[in-house]
Amino acid sequence: MNGSGTLGYGREIESLWSVDTLGAYVTKGLSLKPHHGNPPPRVWEERQGMLNSIGLQNVGLERFFAEYFPLFKERNTPIVINFFGFVDEEYIECAASIRPDPFIVALEINLSCPNVTKGGICMGKEAQSVFSIIERVKRRTPIPLVAKLTPEVADIVEIAQAAVSAGADGITLINTMPGIAIDFRTLSGGNLSSAHGAREGEAPAALPREGATRAPLIGFRGGLSGPPLKPIALKAVADVSRAVRVPVIGAGGITDHEDVIQFLMAGAQAVQVGTATFIDPFAIPKILAGLGAYMDEHGLSRLESLVGAAHA
Amino acid sequence: MHDIEGVIRENLPLCQSFYRCKIELARPMDKVIPGQFIMLKVPSAEIFFRRPFSIYDYGKRTVTILYKTVGKGTRALASAPRKERVMVLGPLGHGFEVHRGYTPVLVAGGIGIAGLRLLWKQVKKKGCFFYGCSTDDEFALLGKITLQQPRVCTLDGSAGFCGNVIQLLEQSLHLLGERPYVYACGPQPMFASLKGLLAEKRIPCQVLVEERMACGLGLCFGCVRKTLDDREPYKRACVEGPVFDLWQISL
Repeated sequence: MNGSGTLGYGREIESLWSVDTLGAYVTKGLSLKPHHGNPPPRVWEERQGMLNSIGLQNVGLERFFAEYFPLFKERNTPIVINFFGFVDEEYIECAASIRPDPFIVALEINLSCPNVTKGGICMGKEAQSVFSIIERVKRRTPIPLVAKLTPEVADIVEIAQAAVSAGADGITLINTMPGIAIDFRTLSGGNLSSAHGAREGEAPAALPREGATRAPLIGFRGGLSGPPLKPIALKAVADVSRAVRVPVIGAGGITDHEDVIQFLMAGAQAVQVGTATFIDPFAIPKILAGLGAYMDEHGLSRLESLVGAAHA
Repeated sequence: MHDIEGVIRENLPLCQSFYRCKIELARPMDKVIPGQFIMLKVPSAEIFFRRPFSIYDYGKRTVTILYKTVGKGTRALASAPRKERVMVLGPLGHGFEVHRGYTPVLVAGGIGIAGLRLLWKQVKKKGCFFYGCSTDDEFALLGKITLQQPRVCTLDGSAGFCGNVIQLLEQSLHLLGERPYVYACGPQPMFASLKGLLAEKRIPCQVLVEERMACGLGLCFGCVRKTLDDREPYKRACVEGPVFDLWQISL
């Protein structure tokens, strides 16, 4: 699969390869109503990785189904609907309004957005709120539900267990890791305290609370993705897959087929490739070819035998 | 579309911090529309994203770009030697649309000329071209484009009209002939002045914008430009752009 938000609405990649190359297409995060997203700049390059702050721009469920969904039916490609809300009710209404369809194989709930009713704290950080939201969503949809978790938590196993005990049918690990970048060039003619929005002699302004849409900091706040995330994601997959009985989908910095094998060995039953596609838009077909060659070389008829192989 | 391997055949400074790079491709690109761009994988392990460059020229399987060194990516490209291998994805984006019955007026500021050269090749018989830059050194960017004196300007007055290209255009509006249609590429403040200048007569205008990009293919929604479309204000510079109608974007 692709990671949510890294393959547009699907049709954009079709001039390079067909979406039926995928095991399943994961939608860009969708919400009940359209969202405009954040003002630019929205992306920042880091060493071997990136920060993004797209702000969940999307056309909303209704337009998605009217304009973009038919492509996947035509291509006979299963899809996973990634969805989000800013309050519990938005999540629930969103999930409830998605009509079951043979092509929709799962819903993936993005638990990394700021909850506006809880002071902008991200939903996915407390086991209690994860349990509550998943339980309520599950009551309103018969479609299998996968919980996509943020890595910015004290104990990801606890969060995953809460999701599973509330009825989650799978866990995606991991979402991007929150980070900031600072453009040192903004200092020219200034000094460090002014870069933080304070006048000389005053204490620098504090970093904004979580969920604030724009930092009063000269720089860039966003989710880190790409290869720097891989060891963190592998650990999350290894720890969680041993603790829960539902399938784990691995994601975080996967760039080639060797990365995929590592995620399978750590316990993932499927993987998502995201940022790698931005650097090489053929990353996904190349990974599939690489896996095929690996299977031939090792006489494997299925990759399942690799799942969890790293757990001695 | 394919990700095409290319070999750098030329990568030379034209003047201070401006370079021209010619890349010979292993296979031909699809038909190029003026205003389109390529995503170039800069040959350096330090550089993560590909970089977007306007297609300055294309022919005989060789794509030419002009660039100014502004950051890590362009500096890494500037130090790439001849024969270095690169990957090129393109042509990408929504290019210029030329409408019949108008006089094309091309307006380039500085390195913005990189995005207008191909269009000029197409319309030069009936159009006119205004070029503004900081100093006369940057006339090197004009290459084979020959302009009469009044149609060039420098901020320091070292050659041509002294001032910016929009001030030059303002002085020359009466020369533009019947039904002008402006095509522009340059820095952000240039677009704002252009909008002010063209507003009264509501002269039609398309602008080629520059945005920081990650994928260049419309996958990430990272390179958006705000438009006046209330339903979906943020449009991708890489798909809906990089050429936008001046009257539909918010500046």
